[in-house]
Amino acid sequence: MNARARPSLGKGVRLRRDPDGTMILLVPEGALVLNPSAAAALELIDGKRSVAQLVDAVVERFEVTPERAAAELLELFERLEARGFVTLARSLC
Amino acid sequence: MLSAPSFAEGRPLSVLCELTYRCNLQCPYCYNPLALREYRDELSTDQWRAALQQAADLGVVQAHFSGGEPTLRPDLAQIVQSASRAGLYTNLITQGTFLDDALLDALLASCLDHIQISIQAPEAEPADRIAGATVHARKLEALQRVLRRDVALTLNCVLHRLNHAAIGDVIAFAEELGVTRLELANVQFYGWAYRNRLALMPTRRQVETGEAIVAAARERLRGKMEIVYVRPDYFDDFPKPCMNGWGRQFMTIAPNGYVLPCPAAAAISQLSFENVRERRLEEIWRDSDSFRRYRGTGWMPEPCRSCDRREIDWGGCRCQAFLLTGDAGVTDPACSLSADHPLVVALRDAPEEGALVARRA
Repeated sequence: MNARARPSLGKGVRLRRDPDGTMILLVPEGALVLNPSAAAALELIDGKRSVAQLVDAVVERFEVTPERAAAELLELFERLEARGFVTLARSLC
Repeated sequence: MLSAPSFAEGRPLSVLCELTYRCNLQCPYCYNPLALREYRDELSTDQWRAALQQAADLGVVQAHFSGGEPTLRPDLAQIVQSASRAGLYTNLITQGTFLDDALLDALLASCLDHIQISIQAPEAEPADRIAGATVHARKLEALQRVLRRDVALTLNCVLHRLNHAAIGDVIAFAEELGVTRLELANVQFYGWAYRNRLALMPTRRQVETGEAIVAAARERLRGKMEIVYVRPDYFDDFPKPCMNGWGRQFMTIAPNGYVLPCPAAAAISQLSFENVRERRLEEIWRDSDSFRRYRGTGWMPEPCRSCDRREIDWGGCRCQAFLLTGDAGVTDPACSLSADHPLVVALRDAPEEGALVARRA
């Protein structure tokens, strides 16, 4: 995966915001509690925005360097993709 | 960045709604209780609706609908809709034989999020022999029907001595169909499966060969198919973290409204359970003796009490401890540190015993 990949939520995967603000990724037969920056990125994914754009959005909202945010988001999306919770459209250019 | 499920103590994550124990199949590996007749007084549609709303109020985020065969409830789509409207993620666990287009339409209109369909084996023989009914072809049709729709699907196959050697064929079957999530679960010995444990116990050779096939398939299918593999705990050194701890994240509502910390808990005659017809779910979760008895680590005897793994495996499974020793309050005998572990070793290494008892009411 690279920063040009454009992730979207896989089938049967939903984001949920609890009344107390907790963000939960609901997946087939399980649920994952998200930290705030992971939640912010997952809220924005739509199959159009690239990982690079998501990194920009996270850097704007949280105290984190672009390098660190990029590394963490790529790792997050790789793990979610391996389990089918995120699918990727790859840019040709 | 992504934390493992780490809900605050005291908040249940998920509720398993066993809508009925009726089923048109007779799988000998079923974990349903032997005394199926005692569950005929099923909750009504309105009682399920109320229970689901109470679960959502309690912080539950996911509802699983199972049985028996949940599609035998004519009000299934209504019940799913109640859960969706309460904000819950909804998952149907079915063997698929009644999943026609009309039912699928109604379920998708009720915002069903995910369907799990089980097969007994990848071919009609031995699948139909294991199920005790001629149903494999209908299951295949249901799978194809679901794959044409916009809903997530998991294909499930329970593994045991009679079909373990076909594990590679199950993976090929899933691949050919275009399934993206496959669950291969070794049989868990509760209910009818416990009764049939000697005939169903896989051999060590089957387990080792099967695990090598799964590992290779995972590598090859990375990004195409997720393979969830449930290990047979009789072959491990440490027990499974059953329910992630008793009364910690999960609860089950039986067809007759009794609320259980684990789907197999009704077998534990040392406990008495409470019913959603009589008490609010929140109180049962928080205050009932059945949920409090083995919650946390305070109840633990040795070797769990001083064990570094006590908050990893939570003492293993209370139901398994009860079935094997008669006391739900001891360490799960699946643990190699348990004084009762020889019971598991004896079962695991017992010579093949062919007599199977078909599940029946």
